[in-house]
Amino acid sequence: MSDEDSILALEGISRSFGGVRAVDGVSLSIKRGSIAGLIGPNGSGKSTLFNIISGVEKKNSGSIAFQGVRLDNLSPHKRFALGLGRTFQTPRLFTGMTVLENTMTGGKGQKGESPFNAPFPGRWEPQEMEIAKQAKSQMTSLEIEKLFGSHSNEISGGQMKLLQLSTVLMGRPKLLLLDEPTAGVAPRLAQDIFQSISQERVENATTFFIIEHRLQVLFRHVDTVFVMHQGRIIASGKPDEIVKKQNVIDAYLGS
Amino acid sequence: MSFDYVGFAIAFTTVYGIYSMLGVSLNLEYGYAGQPNFGQVLFYAIGAYVAGTIAANLLPMLAGVATGNICDVSSLVQREAIAIADPVISVSVWVLALIFSMAAGGIIGLVVSYPALRVKEEWFLSMILLVAGEMFRIFVQNTQQVGCGFNGLAGIVNPLNWIEKYFPGSQVLQAEVPSGLYAGIVLALAIACFLIAQRIGNSPYGRLLKSIRDDKVASESLGKDVSKVRKQIMIIGSIMAGLAGALYVYYIGTAVTDDYIPAVTFSIWVMMILGGYANNRGLLVGAFVITMLDRGSLVLGVLMEGWFPNFNPSLLIYARYMVESVVLILLLVFRQKGLFPETRIKTKAYTLFDFGASKAQGKKEPVTESLTEGSKQGEVQSNQVATDSSLVDSDTSGGSSRTK
Repeated sequence: MSDEDSILALEGISRSFGGVRAVDGVSLSIKRGSIAGLIGPNGSGKSTLFNIISGVEKKNSGSIAFQGVRLDNLSPHKRFALGLGRTFQTPRLFTGMTVLENTMTGGKGQKGESPFNAPFPGRWEPQEMEIAKQAKSQMTSLEIEKLFGSHSNEISGGQMKLLQLSTVLMGRPKLLLLDEPTAGVAPRLAQDIFQSISQERVENATTFFIIEHRLQVLFRHVDTVFVMHQGRIIASGKPDEIVKKQNVIDAYLGS
Repeated sequence: MSFDYVGFAIAFTTVYGIYSMLGVSLNLEYGYAGQPNFGQVLFYAIGAYVAGTIAANLLPMLAGVATGNICDVSSLVQREAIAIADPVISVSVWVLALIFSMAAGGIIGLVVSYPALRVKEEWFLSMILLVAGEMFRIFVQNTQQVGCGFNGLAGIVNPLNWIEKYFPGSQVLQAEVPSGLYAGIVLALAIACFLIAQRIGNSPYGRLLKSIRDDKVASESLGKDVSKVRKQIMIIGSIMAGLAGALYVYYIGTAVTDDYIPAVTFSIWVMMILGGYANNRGLLVGAFVITMLDRGSLVLGVLMEGWFPNFNPSLLIYARYMVESVVLILLLVFRQKGLFPETRIKTKAYTLFDFGASKAQGKKEPVTESLTEGSKQGEVQSNQVATDSSLVDSDTSGGSSRTK
């Protein structure tokens, strides 16, 4: 894969906690416009890897290039500005705000987010309406628009997952890291979430990198799968090739 | 002894205005942005001492007389005379004092936000600020060169005292017109702070503040510069607290360290918890209750002393703090969210949504009802999910059943 095609390139990423190497020399490359999956047993370092890519956690060594730009120790908010979005395994929502307010918080470059503009509605209201319209259509496509006025801690777990997705999509990320988007969600809703992901990829050319335990639904939508075990990538390739690999089966069966 | 209703009203209005300002400031810092400022009194005291020092030095300087030692009684008498004789000097020094107090508050707010941003737990920040406030007070108390130390800096008179010469016939009017006008100014400035806070709260910036309060990591990974915003809100809050301090010292006439004990911070917290976090209107109610306790205990103490010659008015003044503590405990047990819960962030965004439709689903607009209504909604949802999963057992049932 040439550099042009690759949206994210990791080179020798490592991270230790105490004596444990949670991530151990991970190198991988994600193709622009693709949907890539990241699977592996619990504790294999998947979430830590996502935290390192999004900047929530620091790496010990290695390099990250996003669209050819080295991220190194860039803070998470700057990574988001470059087009790198993420969700969390346990939804992290703004519980004091409503579903609409949560979604709108995801909007990028809001003029009214400056204390100098905030007291003067004339300066930000036109943009506010644009963002509100985008939020409404975003919420409608994820079928949470009727909950607009509910506080985000009053909705069901599945709806929280959808709200988190809706919020991060407001920033129109170029690459979106999803950490178990369907964990704890009813099977039909899981289908719907992946349907929305595929749709988003087609409409906005978003690249996805997804940690998921529901392999059947994941494999139906992804182009490439990376398998992580004990901090390392032990296999990668197309879903139907992956399932046949002996080391992957061993990792999952724990032998 | 007769009760001076006008005097009480003037004092009440002034103190209410100052308390509201402090409350609005804390509400922005904690209610909206989640910064637990347990050292609110620090910024209040800094505002007061900066204003006092400026008044004491600038009044004689601008009037063209030797300043001397600002702590001397002769200097105090001189200041009072200048303030009455020269309206222009008096008012302009006051305006400068307010501006410098706000600036000082803002700068100290910026300075303390540096260690604040380096501590992981927000409660460390509250401890740092609590200690900083006490350190400042004890430092001033024991340093003659700063605010005249233990004795305090007196003779910071009402900038409108010169009006008294227009009422040569009435001593009552000589006292009440300037202080009444001053109370009006304080109230106007408090309303201005309230309106600014309301506008900030009901804007995308309000959403940003609440997002940081609710989850800093999530906010940061949605592209928000959390450190910058935390700094900003500490500065904004501290400017308001500095202004309140300057207005207070000009009202009470003397800057003494006893007025800036941690109990002041405690009162401000009680008014915020009473009114409701992130609810500026509720805060005004909380400030009203605390002002009532403050003024009420003072006035009742004096009245009781008149009725019973052996009565010690301090008993009532200190009882105020006990009542505040009881109120706080009752709130924390029975009504954690305060009398008036947090409201929606009212921007025009909601005009795109149909409240009528949501009402038909069993949800109503008033926020007070949203908790119970919301949980009903949640029940319905979870039932539906349960049905779904029993109908569709595996992922292999093919395609999405979603209808568009």
